[in-house]
Amino acid sequence: MLEVGNLKVAYGAAPALWDVSISVGTGELVCVVGPNGAGKTTLINTLAGLSRASLGSIVFHGADITRIAPHKFCQAGIAIVPESRRLFAGMTVLENLELGSYLPAARAHRRETLEQVCALFPAVRQKLPMLAGSLSGGQQQMVAIGRALMARPKLLLLDEPSLGLAPSIVMDMFDAIQRINADGLSVLLVEQNVSMAMSIAKRAYVLEEGRITMDGLAHDLVRRPEIRKAYLGLD
Amino acid sequence: MAFPSLNLLLQSILSGVFIGGMYGLIGLGLGLSWGLLRQINLAHFGFVFLSGYLSYHMVTVWGIDPLLTLLILAPLFFAIGVAQQWLLSRFKISPFNSLLVTFGFTVMIESLIQYVWTADFRKLQSSYGEEKFKIGGLFVPVPELLTLLLAILLAFAVWAAMRFTDIGKAMRAMAEDGPIAAAFGINQRLLSLLLSGVCVAFAAIAGVCFALTFTLTPTQIFSWVGVVFAVVMLGGLGSAIGPLVAGIIIGVSEAIAMVIFAPSWAPIVSFSLLILMLLFRPGRA
Repeated sequence: MLEVGNLKVAYGAAPALWDVSISVGTGELVCVVGPNGAGKTTLINTLAGLSRASLGSIVFHGADITRIAPHKFCQAGIAIVPESRRLFAGMTVLENLELGSYLPAARAHRRETLEQVCALFPAVRQKLPMLAGSLSGGQQQMVAIGRALMARPKLLLLDEPSLGLAPSIVMDMFDAIQRINADGLSVLLVEQNVSMAMSIAKRAYVLEEGRITMDGLAHDLVRRPEIRKAYLGLD
Repeated sequence: MAFPSLNLLLQSILSGVFIGGMYGLIGLGLGLSWGLLRQINLAHFGFVFLSGYLSYHMVTVWGIDPLLTLLILAPLFFAIGVAQQWLLSRFKISPFNSLLVTFGFTVMIESLIQYVWTADFRKLQSSYGEEKFKIGGLFVPVPELLTLLLAILLAFAVWAAMRFTDIGKAMRAMAEDGPIAAAFGINQRLLSLLLSGVCVAFAAIAGVCFALTFTLTPTQIFSWVGVVFAVVMLGGLGSAIGPLVAGIIIGVSEAIAMVIFAPSWAPIVSFSLLILMLLFRPGRA
């Protein structure tokens, strides 16, 4: 459903991504792992319209969306859980979730989707009238995922959902991501927590210095010596 | 220093409330564009006066009822606001530079007013312009009351729109994090044009009220900048109700200072309040 071909993204004269090609199939959970500064966030932001591609193509459901306006990506069916969550901190949790379903198609199912989000994250239900900025990191992450789900996307983009969270909450978060995917939503996950990401993903790409250096089935990749050494701290 | 009679004091407080309504009405559009669009629109003051003069012209020359001129001027100024926002975004003007550019617009508007209506004093004469009634020994002038009611009505309408409508929430989201708002389908360009149009339409409404209440002269434009800036900052940028509340606080403080000390003390009061607020609640403005 998502085909990214030879994508190049540059900030001014400095390229952040060189010639990146990845794909996500319908219902798949794919992860992109790699060290800090490898370009993972740039990749996922470009797929959500937050950064612009200088070369290459993004084809989603057969339509070329590379050059559409930033606000059209959501309409195409892509929703993002951005790095460090970026909730609308001065607005309530409910307002954040409502804004996820701003577009008419999602708005028509607002109540129903809100129920689904609250069922997925029961802790969110009690926090609905509170300011999003007043929540703990883990709760904010749930709201950020909830906001993206409210858009009723076909592809969910997740940027470092484990960042800054306690280990037990990270487990909950990955559990929720797996359940979302099991319900049929395609997921592209970017993570530094390689072992966790590989444990739930079907396929994985390794992004290093703006280039894809390895790819394959997640359970094959974790056995490779170079991955074990560089990312898992094992020999 | 003089101690006024109770009746004089109450009458001053009432006129302070009324002038506060005017401050709040002018400050509403200015604060919304400042807080939500990150544009310090000095042309707002020019638009208030231009609308005031146009209303004066329509009433005096064409014999239209002053309140009916609102129905013409509000949509016209909405279009001007849209055009101004288009221009500012077309040339990617930064928030600070918007201050300079819109200052330029105000100077142009001032010249235009001088050219068309000359620098002479102009006063809109209407059937209810001089009307007033008396409640318990206090005089209530009708145009001032009308201004205050409109200011209250608009402030609450904006508050409700920001809180209860998707488009209002989208505007707040856009002000907090524009790119993320766009990632959820919010068309920032369109909403900015709309918001700017609404702010300038509010300037037009304030202008008509101004013409009903005050004598018009082009050089007066800049004398309103300082106090309305203080009102907007005290009330909170992007706030709907804040400017009106702050306007009334400043208006009443000025009025009390005027009767107890001297009229020349009035500006000192508004800026002292602003400085105190910045000292004790920094980061709010």
